[in-house]
Amino acid sequence: MGTNSGATAGINNKPVGGATGAGVLVGGGVGGANSSIGGVLSNSLGGGGGGLSISGLNAGGQNANVGGMGNVGGDDGGNGMVGGGVNNQQATTPQYTIPGILHFIQHEWSRFELERSQWDVDRAELQARIAMLLGERKCLESLKSDLTRRIKMLEYALRQERAKFYRLKYGTDPPQLNEFKPSNEDAGLAGEVATDSEVPYSSVSNTTWRQGRQMLRQYLAEIGYTDNIIDVRSNRVRSILGLNNNAEHDGSGGGLGGGLGGGTGGENLSPNINGNESNKRASETEGRHTPAKKVQQSIDEIIVDTEAAVMANFEFLGATEMSDDDEISDDLEMVATDNDDTDVKMAKRAKSGKDMLTEDLEADVGEQLLNDMNLMTEEVDGSLGLGELAQLTVNNESDGAYDANSKDGTGGSAGGAGYRKTWNAKYTLRSHFDGVRSLIFHPEEPVLITASEDHTLKLWNLQKTVQAKKSASLDVEPLYTFRAHTGPVLCLGMSSSGETCYSGGLDGNIECWQLPSPNIDPYDCYDPNVHSGTLEGHTDAVWGLTTMQSNIVSCSADGTVKLWSPYNKEPLLRTYTASEAEGAPSSVDFVRNEVDHIVVAYNSAHCIVYDTETGKQVVRLEAAQEMSGNTGKFINKVVSHPTLPITITAHEDRHIRFWDNTSGTLVHSMVAHLEPVTSLAVDAHGLYLLSGSHDCSIRLWNLDNKTCVQEITAHRKKFDESIFDVAFHATKPYIASAGADGLAKVFV
Amino acid sequence: MKMADGSTILRRNRPGTKSKDFCRWPDEPLEEMDSTLAVQQYIQQLIKRDPSNVELILSMPEAQDEGVWKYEHLRQFCMELNGLAVRLQKECSPSTCTQMTATDQWIFLCAAHKTPKECPAIDYTRHTLDGAACLLNSNKYFPSSISPRVSIKESSVTKLGSVCRRVYRIFSHAYFHHRRIFDEFEAETYLCHRFTHFVTKYNLMSKENLIVPINVGENAAPGESEA
Repeated sequence: MGTNSGATAGINNKPVGGATGAGVLVGGGVGGANSSIGGVLSNSLGGGGGGLSISGLNAGGQNANVGGMGNVGGDDGGNGMVGGGVNNQQATTPQYTIPGILHFIQHEWSRFELERSQWDVDRAELQARIAMLLGERKCLESLKSDLTRRIKMLEYALRQERAKFYRLKYGTDPPQLNEFKPSNEDAGLAGEVATDSEVPYSSVSNTTWRQGRQMLRQYLAEIGYTDNIIDVRSNRVRSILGLNNNAEHDGSGGGLGGGLGGGTGGENLSPNINGNESNKRASETEGRHTPAKKVQQSIDEIIVDTEAAVMANFEFLGATEMSDDDEISDDLEMVATDNDDTDVKMAKRAKSGKDMLTEDLEADVGEQLLNDMNLMTEEVDGSLGLGELAQLTVNNESDGAYDANSKDGTGGSAGGAGYRKTWNAKYTLRSHFDGVRSLIFHPEEPVLITASEDHTLKLWNLQKTVQAKKSASLDVEPLYTFRAHTGPVLCLGMSSSGETCYSGGLDGNIECWQLPSPNIDPYDCYDPNVHSGTLEGHTDAVWGLTTMQSNIVSCSADGTVKLWSPYNKEPLLRTYTASEAEGAPSSVDFVRNEVDHIVVAYNSAHCIVYDTETGKQVVRLEAAQEMSGNTGKFINKVVSHPTLPITITAHEDRHIRFWDNTSGTLVHSMVAHLEPVTSLAVDAHGLYLLSGSHDCSIRLWNLDNKTCVQEITAHRKKFDESIFDVAFHATKPYIASAGADGLAKVFV
Repeated sequence: MKMADGSTILRRNRPGTKSKDFCRWPDEPLEEMDSTLAVQQYIQQLIKRDPSNVELILSMPEAQDEGVWKYEHLRQFCMELNGLAVRLQKECSPSTCTQMTATDQWIFLCAAHKTPKECPAIDYTRHTLDGAACLLNSNKYFPSSISPRVSIKESSVTKLGSVCRRVYRIFSHAYFHHRRIFDEFEAETYLCHRFTHFVTKYNLMSKENLIVPINVGENAAPGESEA
């Protein structure tokens, strides 16, 4: 810039430079055509101009004119270089004219400037992402520490109890706690074992301290969770909604900052980079805490003055920027650090009279210090870093690690969050001749129903098994086969009492069934009353079916969604039809936390929430920026969160997306599988999400942090399809998957 | 995405597919099917294309294990017989058909019970189909139904014959006692026709047991009832 303005041609160059800028933006084809001509022009005129300027400086006016023309030529040549090709470059390279070079330099400069601002935007995006991830982590940590504290409390109480017990029994103080673990355990946990035999408490017989703790942890995970459910929920709401808002806000702020930085130029560059580095450093140090602590201490000792200065900055920050973050203070330090950066910058600008160098140094150290302090507070909170969190389960297995962790007295070690149940395939349900399209559990009994493309439904009782030879898994034989559909059965629903079940088929009918007793003889006499009615109304395949109290809602390829009250005189209550543009509905669910609302997924990749009473659209779930190319975004399944106003959709483009029902905005989107996601299920508490995909695997997700907890390869492919449905048992620890290979599997 | 170009045809029935478009995709040659269910896919594809072309449906591809071929076809028969059972349920009640009979010559006893029982026709039908489903999916006799369905033990292949004999009685009962249902069903599916061809071709049943009059020698034409 400085050199440019210093040069004589500078004045001429500037407007032309502006023109070039515009020229660059014009489409490539036109630019290319122009530039070839321009190249010729510049060759002749530029050359002439060059010759003239060398020969006579006196002929000012003319010279300038010709030079101007030369400029134009050179300009176009420049265009060619940016937008065009090798040819143009060849055309211009032999002729170096001062204005041409200046233009080129100017070009390059503006290009760099553009790129830099792009980098700034990228950086802001990444920072927003970091903030979001940190937010999720924080939520998890607070939950974990809460549970840990609970464990500590219970452990302490247990220890006291044990000591008392010992004293009463033997009249002396217990020599070592460990020896009494087993008996107490038995006493303490007997009730649990009795009430819930599904949970593997069999390790009670083993008498090590570690297992005792393991058991406590399980106990807490099963029982303590329900006490904590409110905390969990609020955390989740924040993590899903609050955090996202925050991240967006953060991102836009960062973007703005980046834009500003790009606009004002070089001066801001160094603080930006500093900020970047310190952020990076922060994330690095978070991985390893003890070093961070040491660094913190050393810094404490050495740079007391700087600390004071930084503290001043920090206070300033608290006064101005932190204020609006207060309501989401849970969401954290990262926001604070982000603000810190900008804040330090601002402070710097304000004190522009000072020596830049020391200022820089101070800011740099200060930022680091701030980050370290953040870390420190985190540690005091008793939280672990992400890296450690990932290894938490491993840590739990070893006593040493556990003890080391618990020594810090903050209780910041293994906790409820560390307890993870691993699901294993236990039952294989084989009896269908073709793909199993849908399955559903009985709300209470260990009973399920499968619906298949072989036109039948089958009833299974998991307690009636046949030991398969040479295998740990059990085969189950079906108890009853429901026959009424004249084509593949596609979807299932079950009443909340578990007495009635409904099935929708390719034939367009919805059949109603009274469930036979789960202890029926498979070869009993045919009872025509099991089939208790047919809901006729759809004129094409019924693809989605779901129940709520006594009502069912169904969606069909005929484009309609129908609400039924089966066993009414007039079972069809209402029909909902969307505009043609939405296409056929593919899936439907009741909005669980809002009475009289249903959410329907359409082929257009939109979801629409209807009010069942008025039949009006309440909200459309669509993401404007994402819908530009929604050809592959086809929704295979939509489910409503059982307690939160959140809708979850499974997409053909391998994503699972989370939507806020009240605003209709996209809350979270993640690539969940290697192939289209076909099915979703949320457990009754709303903590876990199960997804199935044509990649043959089912995945279990923690809804708090949207991480995959377990992946199980469950089924084989038939044509390009694999898994059609997944399900949670509402009250028992069962999950199940149904596949195109004609099998259903139950995991415990 | 679908059918965007020849190399990436995805054979999927996505939710919301109209029933007329169900499984309506370009045929995939058997050689290109890398699925363990390739034989089933291939058979279903042929049936979908033209259920009346019994000859083609039953012509075994080269290099195909004959046991698996027969097994997969029998699975398909039992599956499609569900359709006949659904129709029979509406008409065939224990009060009208108290026994499983075809002609008056035999009363068939239901083999699904510990001691064979004289079940009413509809129970016999249901029990036989349920029993066949259990047997054909049995991990004991057909472990290949979980691991690749590519080979079948010789001892298990012999089971196929008895399944054939039992399920054939459903056809014969329908033919002699519920002729309207049988004719309607046959006109749609050509199932009895195909079944007769199948058991004759692979010698799974003796000729004298094939009591439903279908001219096996006739080339791929439907039986007299559909003429």
